[in-house]
Amino acid sequence: MILADFLLAQPWFVWLILLPLGGAASTFVLPRRVAPIGFCCALLILAGAVFSVCQLTATGSLTQAAGHWSAPLGIVLRADGLAVVMLATTAGVGFIISCYALGYFPARGHEPSRARYFWPLWLFVWAGCNALYVSADLFNLYVTLEIVTLAAVALTALEGGAPAVGAALRYLLTSLVGSLTYLAGVALLYAGWGTVDLSLLSQVLTEDPLSRTAMALMICGLLLKSALFPLHFWLPPAHGKAPAPVSAILSALVVKTAYVVLLRLWFEVFASFDRAMTAHLLGALGSAAIIWGSLMALRQERLKLLIAYSTVAQIGYLFLVFPLAGAETAATVWTAVILFMVAHACGKAAMFLVAGTIQQTAGHDRISQMAGAGGPIGVLAVVFALASVTIIGLPPSGGFFAKWLLLNAALATGQWWYCPVILTGSLLAAAYVTRVLSWAFLDVRRNVCPVSSRVMKWPPLALCLVALLLGLAAYGPVRVALTGAPVTGHVLVEQRP
Amino acid sequence: MNDLSVYAAAGILLFFIGLYALFFRRQLLRKILAANVMGSGVFLIFIGLVKQPGQSTDPVPQAMVLTGIIVTLCFTAAAIALAIRLKELNEEHHSATRPEDDFG
Amino acid sequence: MTLLFGHLIDLLLAVSLTVLAWRLLATSDLFKATVLFIAFGLLMALAWVRLDAPDLALAEAVIGAGITGVLLLTALRHLDSGARVARMSGRSGRRSLRVLLPALGIMPALLVLLCLSSPHIRSTAGLTASVIERLDQIGTDHPVTAVLLDFRAYDTLLETAVLLLAVVAVWSLHPVRPIFSPEPISPAQRGLLRLLLPVLIMTSLYLLWRGSHAPGGAFQAGALLAAGLLLLLLSEQRLPGRWSGMFLRLLLAGGFMIFLLVAAGALVGTGTLLDYPGGGASWLLLSIEAALSLSIAALLATAVIGGRPSDRSTEFPPRRKDPAGEEG
Repeated sequence: MILADFLLAQPWFVWLILLPLGGAASTFVLPRRVAPIGFCCALLILAGAVFSVCQLTATGSLTQAAGHWSAPLGIVLRADGLAVVMLATTAGVGFIISCYALGYFPARGHEPSRARYFWPLWLFVWAGCNALYVSADLFNLYVTLEIVTLAAVALTALEGGAPAVGAALRYLLTSLVGSLTYLAGVALLYAGWGTVDLSLLSQVLTEDPLSRTAMALMICGLLLKSALFPLHFWLPPAHGKAPAPVSAILSALVVKTAYVVLLRLWFEVFASFDRAMTAHLLGALGSAAIIWGSLMALRQERLKLLIAYSTVAQIGYLFLVFPLAGAETAATVWTAVILFMVAHACGKAAMFLVAGTIQQTAGHDRISQMAGAGGPIGVLAVVFALASVTIIGLPPSGGFFAKWLLLNAALATGQWWYCPVILTGSLLAAAYVTRVLSWAFLDVRRNVCPVSSRVMKWPPLALCLVALLLGLAAYGPVRVALTGAPVTGHVLVEQRP
Repeated sequence: MNDLSVYAAAGILLFFIGLYALFFRRQLLRKILAANVMGSGVFLIFIGLVKQPGQSTDPVPQAMVLTGIIVTLCFTAAAIALAIRLKELNEEHHSATRPEDDFG
Repeated sequence: MTLLFGHLIDLLLAVSLTVLAWRLLATSDLFKATVLFIAFGLLMALAWVRLDAPDLALAEAVIGAGITGVLLLTALRHLDSGARVARMSGRSGRRSLRVLLPALGIMPALLVLLCLSSPHIRSTAGLTASVIERLDQIGTDHPVTAVLLDFRAYDTLLETAVLLLAVVAVWSLHPVRPIFSPEPISPAQRGLLRLLLPVLIMTSLYLLWRGSHAPGGAFQAGALLAAGLLLLLLSEQRLPGRWSGMFLRLLLAGGFMIFLLVAAGALVGTGTLLDYPGGGASWLLLSIEAALSLSIAALLATAVIGGRPSDRSTEFPPRRKDPAGEEG
């Protein structure tokens, strides 16, 4: 079929960068048509991502050298399994958040400037994320990280109040320190080995005080940007005080970007290094993040801050991959972490969108006063419960499957002490979710049932269903995730201790 | 040790001076200045380590540092706009209620 | 002998940079800190000259010292008026300063020793040779411009996106605040501006054209033009209301959109991103650079002005004639 061949031959992963950039510029130039242009862009990006996935399953990883200049002189873009899964997740979750935002930021309301600036900034975030996932060049990764950060900072400040602007400023300065530290590491690597390309570096890099310093600097910078405990102080205010769709974008999509860069560095560039100590340190910090984040979430009075601390905890799970990626377990943890990122993106975005609807209808987001939220049946609370199924890690959700794989890897490598950490994290997540739901399900008579925009009702439900079904339909994403991955081996689904 | 490494050493010192000032100085404008100094430090490290005596400087790091200068400027502009807006909002808040010193 | 003199200058410059940075961050007077920062930027430009990077020297002088300096002075006016100084909550500076100073002093020293003792430093050839041997395939003779606009053009595309993004971010915060302008402007000031403005425009056009074979290029030219636009602001020229809507937005986003269209066109045509037709003819690169520098000038000037145009079609930025009221 000629059409199918034509579609398969297009470099979709490159279009997924140019499309949102063009959309961002157009929504800036035409502020009166912001919503239609934004929605069309979201739809096109979703289509492009679907084609990308089909292309990957048909032909395998694709690379492209920008301008036909191959590394080390030019920049290489690569669409491997990790990149395509993240592109698809961002496209799916992003499309649903865009639909929600159409209702949350009405273009003709009394505050048209918020809608006018949300769409260009959100499309810039999207473009930056897409550009980051496919980039295989360390300096290009720096520029894409900066696009995502600057747009995310401006989105955080969109709320307009002093707490939001203060949180945005703290986010900006912290992120800037992280980026500059990362860039210092890149400088050291270029000075020593003459290239910043990921695959070239993985071949020529030798272990040396210079490269170890570079590794330390880059890891520290990326830890700051991905908010690992104890460098997480900037995240809860920023995610908790932003408007709800922005919080969903930040928690579901933006936090993963710096982590993906770290994954690429760990498994490709620095793969041949002796880094047992670093791995254990990252595992310890990840465990601390899980426990600390969940405990702090239990203590919160406001719903969005609770969800933000839950993000801090979930980020800790991501860092368990480093000590657990042994010789036989590498493919298992690679798959686990990718599934976890997808499931967390869906679940966390759904939670924030529900919180946004509750805040709009109830006028506030205090947990203790949430009784009867969202109407007499508490429909919103049910959706919140569904979203939290994947955050807690109950079967058959994607979160359950990811944690199951992590447990297997922990047992297989003999690091059994991570099992109680993972299980405690799930228990604490169940605890804070129950706390929210116990208030929301109280039988309270309300005289007026507040009405929210129709388009804001179904997005969280759609996201929950995706997260729930991910565990059932995991074979497809797992196969995609392992395409072109820098790990070998097979996925350990069953492990006897 | 080559004499041009003196710039790389200065760059490393600038990086740490900026980092230190960013965390320990309270005024926002000073934090922004510190971030700029940190950025200049990183750029000096980059070119200082790459420069070989007697040869022209590698153009690829030069292009990268130029990009870095522009990106740092963009962040500075955004940070200043945020700081001015923050001050305005705090002043409105203070004129409406009693004075209080922390926020954020 | 000249070699020794050169070493001495390098040492002096490096030490002054470090000392200046320490002074500017330690002083308690914000105005002094800003002025010291502008001086720091100029010294950095000298350092770039010594490191044989004239493009960076030009960029640092115009952008690092010039535009950033204007930004900081504007910020100073808003942030430092009166007793309320914008600050973030944190521990008090003094005590922790003395305790952590020795600890933090060891880290940089260790780092310096680590890096500079590695056998890998300066053992790699770098990419200079690769760039120079491919220069004849590209429509420009200057290596740095070739890297910026051809070899790593994708980075430049994203960098232009960051510039546009910065203006969108600044505009999203607040409508433009009126800028106080004294009336009348003195004849000396008027004469100086009349002299400076054409010089600035000519120099920026020269830098743009020169970038194809010598240090220069779109960013330096654009920044110089932005300085000219800011000077116009000082001489009370304002953008009339009817130009501050769609026209201004097109000017700001135009360079980026043209670059994006070229990239998309190349993608459609050859299937590779930014694969210029004909290998990058010089007229194509020059026109991209011209569009970019115009946009960059507008973007930088708008970022300094600091707020979005109001919808009521007043001039941009609006004047405030009353000096007794709160300074805008």
